[in-house]
Amino acid sequence: MKYKKKNRNVGIVGIGETKFSSHREDVNQPEMIHEAVRQALDDAGLKIDDIDCVLHGNMELFEMIHQPDLWHVLGTGAYGKDSFRLTTGGTTGGTLVCAADNLVASGMYDVVMAIGFEKLQEGHTTGGITNMADPLWARKLQTGALTAQAAVKLIDEFGAERARRAAMTYRIIMDKHACKNPNSHRAFGLDWDQMDDLIKNSPPLIGDLRLIHMCSQSDGACVIIFASEEKAKQITQTPVWIRDHITVHREETLDLHNNFYPNRTTHRFAAEQLYKRNGIINPLEYFDVFEMYDPSAWWGVDWLREFFLLKDDEHLKLVENREIMIDGKMPINPSGGVIAANPIGATAMVRTAEAAKQIRGNAGPHQIPRPVNHALASSFGGTMWTVLTILEKDLNWQGGDHE
Amino acid sequence: MSEFYGIKIEDIFNSMKDRFRPEGAAGIENTFGYAIKGIGGWKLTIAKGAMAVDKTDDLSGCDVVLDTDGETFVGLTIGKVDAMSAFTSRKIKVKGAFNTFGLTSRMFHKYMTPGQETRQAQEMIALKKTISVNQRFATGPVFGKFLKGLKEKKILAVKCPVCGRLQSPPREACAICRVRNTEWVEIGPKGEMRMLEYCYYASPDPLTGETRETPYGAIGILLDGCKDEEVFWHLLRPDQLGKVKMGSVLNGKVTHGTRLRPVWNERRTGTIEDIKYFEIDE
Amino acid sequence: MEKNFDTTDCYLINGKLALPYTYFAGRVGSTFITTIRDNHKIMGVKCPTCDKVFVPPRQTCERCQADIQNNWVELGNIGKVINYTIVRYDDKHLPRKAPFVLAMIQLDGADTPMVHILDEVDPDAVIEGMKVRAVFAEKTTNTILDIDHFAPV
Repeated sequence: MKYKKKNRNVGIVGIGETKFSSHREDVNQPEMIHEAVRQALDDAGLKIDDIDCVLHGNMELFEMIHQPDLWHVLGTGAYGKDSFRLTTGGTTGGTLVCAADNLVASGMYDVVMAIGFEKLQEGHTTGGITNMADPLWARKLQTGALTAQAAVKLIDEFGAERARRAAMTYRIIMDKHACKNPNSHRAFGLDWDQMDDLIKNSPPLIGDLRLIHMCSQSDGACVIIFASEEKAKQITQTPVWIRDHITVHREETLDLHNNFYPNRTTHRFAAEQLYKRNGIINPLEYFDVFEMYDPSAWWGVDWLREFFLLKDDEHLKLVENREIMIDGKMPINPSGGVIAANPIGATAMVRTAEAAKQIRGNAGPHQIPRPVNHALASSFGGTMWTVLTILEKDLNWQGGDHE
Repeated sequence: MSEFYGIKIEDIFNSMKDRFRPEGAAGIENTFGYAIKGIGGWKLTIAKGAMAVDKTDDLSGCDVVLDTDGETFVGLTIGKVDAMSAFTSRKIKVKGAFNTFGLTSRMFHKYMTPGQETRQAQEMIALKKTISVNQRFATGPVFGKFLKGLKEKKILAVKCPVCGRLQSPPREACAICRVRNTEWVEIGPKGEMRMLEYCYYASPDPLTGETRETPYGAIGILLDGCKDEEVFWHLLRPDQLGKVKMGSVLNGKVTHGTRLRPVWNERRTGTIEDIKYFEIDE
Repeated sequence: MEKNFDTTDCYLINGKLALPYTYFAGRVGSTFITTIRDNHKIMGVKCPTCDKVFVPPRQTCERCQADIQNNWVELGNIGKVINYTIVRYDDKHLPRKAPFVLAMIQLDGADTPMVHILDEVDPDAVIEGMKVRAVFAEKTTNTILDIDHFAPV
């Protein structure tokens, strides 16, 4: 894959997030979206007239509405503007960030507003995801995004006791973070003494994947406003720069149901490529925060190894030693992550939004208690697709391996 | 004491008749038991769009039983307690399918304390629908040949002419090598189990809209003649769910899983259902 | 057209996509529907900045993005046809048996038209500018079909 250096730098200048919840009966879709649009415009100190282009995205089929971007003009402010709809499954929010970055970097637009949303209460999430599968084969067999494969593999490699405790430790840490984040959909107040009880008694969904491990189904929207370097510096004192991003797809995978380890993951592939071309040797040392798209606690634990290019049980130790906590060596999801709130079309964008807020230093009660200069955000979707984005506080990074 | 948050537990049950929404109970045939610690039991019966609630301590015949204390129950009813939190912290226990209780929320209007009705919150309209669209899928020559093979009790795979990888169900091309798959080989039909997805969660089958029966096992089988990741995705005979073992390859070390064989349907039409499921090969 | 591959094994399989969903009308949409249902009145909202009355109502003005959800305006039940189409095929998703008329109806006092069924008229006799009135449904569905149809005045 050829990758060229950006034409011009792009900064995040405005962020809006609704509160995430199980249902929003009081607003319809465009009304819910508008709450985040309003917030982002206010955050940037902009008016809708200042926006050159609107990107809109969510999962297809989740609300059973076709072309929602048309209907949603009422809330998005796209009236009379260029507007594009993107829908790439779970990665949608990440793809929106990439597309907005590309549109501004290319010089096509100076200010782009990207909107990700979902109102999962309106549809049937697991049914909707199952419908992405091959209609002649996999639709009959798939159960949405619910799978115990990561659990099977972790248990195989590290033994049931250690693997289950690691997954539940990860889960409790995420809940502790979620309790600090006022936007969380689910924040239970879990504590360490509940570990054994939850491991044993949380209702099982599939195999060792239990209800407590799995992400929620949430309603909510996220909006980010992007601007060219020149504009960004005029708009805000604290732009957050998009340094680079990578998208890795793989074929539709009928062969995922194996127990062959280590298998190829797009996460590791994406991480290797992205770090290499940016000259990042030790990602664990380099980044100050990682907002990961972690659909379940099992995946969260497993994927730490992939994203940080770790070996053996280094990822388990990070979890076991609680180094992924907000005040730890490598804070993972100070927001609470996807398990705390998952409005799918917004979810991946929330990762970038939350990482950017950490860099700005105004994340709120879940602000990391030390300076954040370099952030990583991931997206996950489709049949194991990855989008990985690097955010920076300062425009001072070295060239790396671009053409 | 049977009063919490200023509300009597009896009032919640006694008002159920007035709060009942027949349209929300359409198609639901269930008995729900409520065991409120130290206070008593109630049994709610929903059938043919009608309801009955009885105070009784015998909840043995109920499809699902909610076991909780008075404070949590009232809290749940008036929205002061989050159901998921209560469940997670073991303040409520459910005997039977835990998500069945979710049905009750649409069968009843919200409970209002006496006097509160006049300043009732605005009515929010929510329309429940099922989208149902007929579809026709073209198999194309490659998937068509594979499905035709099933009719003859043969499982076919395509082989990549470059990397030699087998794919079944087959694909027109090897996406990794970006070449057309031209060679066909017969694999299986027996093999060993590599992955078991033991499904407790009742999801809808999007081909019918009907809820799937649980538990069931979606499995990955390494059919004879295949290697590494070349697994075949199908179902396990439901009554053998607890009797099988997954095999694995961990950093080169192979552990073998249970041997399985396909059970073919008598009438085969060239679909995934030509194989009923896989069962233990003894 | 001659195919450059062997089509012997190509065939069609019937499938289905069937999934449940729920639509939440929200505060503004619910007020609109319940007022039609309970009071037989059609309400719009007005944007004072753009001087436009929107029906169906909306929370924000699509043009200036002002919050207009509380600026309710009661409209009469009379309006005019500004455009129409005759539906000449039957489908299970359609509200009526064909042939029937779907018209863009602009209520007196509104700046936006809304689509509804036009009935009690020969489809071939419909003309633009025709004056019509709302006929309310006897049985509620909690949808816009609580106006059963429009009919010529």
